[in-house]
Amino acid sequence: MKHTTVFSLVREQSVFMTAIMGLLTFLAVMALGIAIAIGTGVARWNTQWDLFATVQVTNTKNESDVNKILTTNAAKIESINEISNDEMLRLMRPWVSGGGVLKNYLPKMWEVRFKTESDLNEISDKIAPYGRVLTHADALQTPISAGWKMMLIAGLILALTLGAITVCISYIARNTAMLHKRELEILNQIGATDSFVARQMQIIVARICVVACLVGFICAVPVLLIMISSAHSARVGLMAMLSIGGIGWVCLGLLPIVITIFAIWMTRRTTIKILQNE
Amino acid sequence: MEEKTIISFANVAAAYDTATEVLTDVSFNISSGAFYFLSGASGAGKTTLLRLIYQLHKPLRGQIKLFGKNTAELSRDDVANLRHKMAIVFQEYSLLSHMTVFDNVALPLRVRGIPESKVKKLVAKVLDWVGLGKYANVKPMELSGGQQQRVSVARAIIVQPSILLADEPTGNLDDENASRLMELFIQMNKLFGTTIILATHNKKLMETYKFPVIRVENHRVGFVGKSSTATDDTKKVWKGPTPKNYFTELSKQFDEIGNA
Repeated sequence: MKHTTVFSLVREQSVFMTAIMGLLTFLAVMALGIAIAIGTGVARWNTQWDLFATVQVTNTKNESDVNKILTTNAAKIESINEISNDEMLRLMRPWVSGGGVLKNYLPKMWEVRFKTESDLNEISDKIAPYGRVLTHADALQTPISAGWKMMLIAGLILALTLGAITVCISYIARNTAMLHKRELEILNQIGATDSFVARQMQIIVARICVVACLVGFICAVPVLLIMISSAHSARVGLMAMLSIGGIGWVCLGLLPIVITIFAIWMTRRTTIKILQNE
Repeated sequence: MEEKTIISFANVAAAYDTATEVLTDVSFNISSGAFYFLSGASGAGKTTLLRLIYQLHKPLRGQIKLFGKNTAELSRDDVANLRHKMAIVFQEYSLLSHMTVFDNVALPLRVRGIPESKVKKLVAKVLDWVGLGKYANVKPMELSGGQQQRVSVARAIIVQPSILLADEPTGNLDDENASRLMELFIQMNKLFGTTIILATHNKKLMETYKFPVIRVENHRVGFVGKSSTATDDTKKVWKGPTPKNYFTELSKQFDEIGNA
């Protein structure tokens, strides 16, 4: 059966709707892309530091006891790195003024990578009476928390964009119905059901959305790639961990399809509501 | 053959605003296969009566039954499905200006889900019959008023409706085309038992074809002629079973009328 479109949008209407839907799709893909990239980064970051801990001993009397515990449990330790005073001084230079007095108050520190999480917990308990064991995951709570917050913000932007799409589609359907009141009347006269009229509107919106979503997606992908590449140039820290994996790209690819389907469904819902309130 | 009431009005009133009633206490029954003229002064309520029958306007009070169904109890989709058995021709054509003549005439068939191959065949036949075959691909705005009226008529008759309502269908036609259109309506009425209500001011037309007249006057409806059932002349003559394939039968009729 041929689905002749009874409604025809004027050129300006089509251009405006394609542009606005393209922009919204661009924003939605960007927001989801950023959320996925940060999410992947945070997950990688967490995994990376899960088995790391810094052992600090401030009381010099306990140094040998801690050293003994570390030596006897060598089988449970992947690597151990003793941080020298010079190295510590170099790391702390930005926060402390010069002078050799500080050297006397520096704790003894080891950076330890454990084989398993249970090894980390077990040895931490053993060291606890003599010194302090600070896991890197705990120490890096602030950037991780910032990462989650950024993801939340990106998610919020995505939700807002989808909300804007809802409003936009609703507006398109209402606007089209108002502009084509005469056509609606004629369709009504010849016995068109609400579903038939809604299908007509859906055809228009589907055509606009397919083009707009494709353009929005094609524009968003290079921008996302540039952003991730710029983040990687930081080399260290959470920024360097930002990435979009295979599943992430599949999700991003599905987003314009979901937007199109959502827009088509929204059009039907709005159109039928308009017709019933006529 | 037992006459079956197809349109029934009981104490129907209609108004466009609450101040004035356009029609008051309208009661009548129209049998299946009847042919009526609808007459009355301008603004008397002829179009309102047609709109009430076609369910384009809701009555202020009273009950309207179409095909035995109380229209007040029908959903929007039920009304749409009911309109599949009816057609209306408006004075102002009601054509879609951005669509071609072909697509305008094809629209009711497409709305009904008729296969495209049948649509093409039927539309071509109907357009040929109304003398607009060569205008199939032009837009209605490029046609004269009379031609647009013929497109509007073609769109109404193509679905071979059980009830055909026409609001001044011959108003913009010359005598020859008006007679041709009347002949088509009579053929539809006789062969398919189509119930026809034709609003007109044309006294000559009413005198030539002596069908009973529904007169709208002083917000009320009266009948002139033989009650509200079909006259002997206008009773449908189709004695056989109802044609299963209306569209094929209609095409045959078009052929016969066209060759006459």
